[in-house]
Amino acid sequence: MAVAVAVLSLGAMGLQYRLVEARLMDAQRSLLSADLDGFAALYDQRRIIALRQAIDYRAAAATGDEMLLLMDRQGAVLAGTRGDWPAGLTAEGEGFAVNPARAFTEGGTRWLAVARELPGGFPLLVARSLQPVDDTLGAMRRGMLGMLAAMLVAGGLVGWLAARSVMVRIGRLNDLADRVAEGALDARLPGARTDDEFGLLETHVHSMLDRIETLNRATHRLSDTIAHELRTPLNRMLLKLSKIEDQEEVTAELKAEMRQAIRMFDSLLDISRAEADAGSGGGLVPVDLSAVAREVWDLYEPLAEDKGLDAQAVIDPDLRVLGDRNLIAQLLSNLLDNAIKYCASGDLLTLSLTRDGDRHLMRVADTGPGLPADMRGEVFERFVRADRDRGISGHGLGLALVRAIAARHGARLVLPEGQKGLTLEIQWPRLQQSD
Amino acid sequence: MDERILIVEDDIETAEAVRAVIEGMGCAADHCDTLETGIAAALGTPYKVIVLDRMLPGGDGVEAIARLRAGGSNALILVLSALGRAANRVEGLEKGADDYLPKPFEPDELRARLRALLRRGTMQVLDNDLLAFGDLEIRMKARTVHVRRAYVAVSPKEFELITYFARNAGQVVTRMQLLESVWNLHFDPGTNVVDVHVGRLRRKLEEAGSAAIQTARGEGYIFAPLAGAAG
Repeated sequence: MAVAVAVLSLGAMGLQYRLVEARLMDAQRSLLSADLDGFAALYDQRRIIALRQAIDYRAAAATGDEMLLLMDRQGAVLAGTRGDWPAGLTAEGEGFAVNPARAFTEGGTRWLAVARELPGGFPLLVARSLQPVDDTLGAMRRGMLGMLAAMLVAGGLVGWLAARSVMVRIGRLNDLADRVAEGALDARLPGARTDDEFGLLETHVHSMLDRIETLNRATHRLSDTIAHELRTPLNRMLLKLSKIEDQEEVTAELKAEMRQAIRMFDSLLDISRAEADAGSGGGLVPVDLSAVAREVWDLYEPLAEDKGLDAQAVIDPDLRVLGDRNLIAQLLSNLLDNAIKYCASGDLLTLSLTRDGDRHLMRVADTGPGLPADMRGEVFERFVRADRDRGISGHGLGLALVRAIAARHGARLVLPEGQKGLTLEIQWPRLQQSD
Repeated sequence: MDERILIVEDDIETAEAVRAVIEGMGCAADHCDTLETGIAAALGTPYKVIVLDRMLPGGDGVEAIARLRAGGSNALILVLSALGRAANRVEGLEKGADDYLPKPFEPDELRARLRALLRRGTMQVLDNDLLAFGDLEIRMKARTVHVRRAYVAVSPKEFELITYFARNAGQVVTRMQLLESVWNLHFDPGTNVVDVHVGRLRRKLEEAGSAAIQTARGEGYIFAPLAGAAG
């Protein structure tokens, strides 16, 4: 911007420079023309003699601004301000017209010269110094350069000031967005809104945040209400079931069905709650990930062994994350439960938890049937199950809950390609050790 | 047992079912159907246990636990609520509930929980180093189990399991209770993982000659070493 303004000004100044230059040259040319007219009048009266006297007279009063020289046929000087004919200048024509005039340089000074050979072979040189013109133009150029530099500096300064105030206000909005992303849904910018586009933007952001906050609160309230309204009738059903006697098999099946329905329903609510809280650190506390992994592994390992799996765990100690112990346990429990469910006797099941740079890498791998190729992209969606697994109990929410819990913790979920069976990696953000 | 138990519950049918369980245990039950009357009753009478609902007219029972404690009530609190997700349970326990049973509940489960709470006050004597049940001995400090003087090798988790059983000897202990108390997990894993662990411990004890752990009708187990020895 500053540069564009400077270039435009430079163009304008250049035009002015050209005009001044032309005007000054014209002035020198008309002075020269007046000189020549004077000499022409003298020449008309008494030819060379009058010219010689006039030049002598003028040379005596030399100001240095003019160059006069009259020579004879043999090249001897008859009169003049100098003793020789300037090199590189040839006489053209024989009249006293100002045109053609030539500019030439001698000793660092430019001259505007009219060189003639008067009838009878008398070379005449009448020249005016262009030094005053060059001095004026030089001063002008310096002035213009100075002006340009000043404009660039001023432009840059103004631009920087303007950009800085814009940056400060954008920075405020960015800070607000960061705080909201960290879970402070009630964060707002303090002070009054200004009466410009920024104020308008802030107002829009605020009304968006108000809406998100309301929706979030409604989501939380709704899940509690749903829980209450659904579980209360289920509770009455279960109590009535408990009063039925002599049909234990049927009642046990009904109870198991109810338990499955509640599990599914809890998983759905857990998923939406975890997704609503995803990315926000709110409610998370330092958790010993290694200890939780060890506990859940110890819970499931006998189950895997009983099913004939080769179960191995490698868990580095003291790896800590900011998390919710119960959710982490639920995530790992879902993964191990799935693996054990789908693997057959002889399969390998491994759990590893290792430190990997600024992340903790949790990996659950089995050599079971793995995922059908066409399902890789959608296994983490709710209620997605492979057709071949219809015979295995489950509601298709396990991996969706795993993904929601990982997202809640800011952990990355990866399905590495090309492994036999199913391998799932979770990269947990490491808790900065402060203790 | 003729302990007094307070029910704070707004659903009449649930309240009646809870009352039936309590009276079936030989205890007396009082019932309030709002939070404020419940708190007033709890602060006026020394109840042993309060069965407290959450979404009550007047507010959330869990939020009132601090008021009960501040008011001087020493009652053990069992929260019985439709807010039954793992996160709700953890929240309730963190806010001072002694136990948390989600609805829908089975009367057997509630009975087991109430028995465990009623016993809790009388269990200090069991904090001795040696817990002896006939020919089954548990040494707390050494963390060892002996049957008929023979050492039984148990894993650390199995030791915690048998200790929990011992503390509730003679009572039905449910799978959910075990998962919550021994593993500190508050969600339903779907698979009965606990069975595998109890099964292993039970086989070890049986190989050593003790039939202390029995499957109870319904949802759990019962630790009855003396009955086992007699039978």
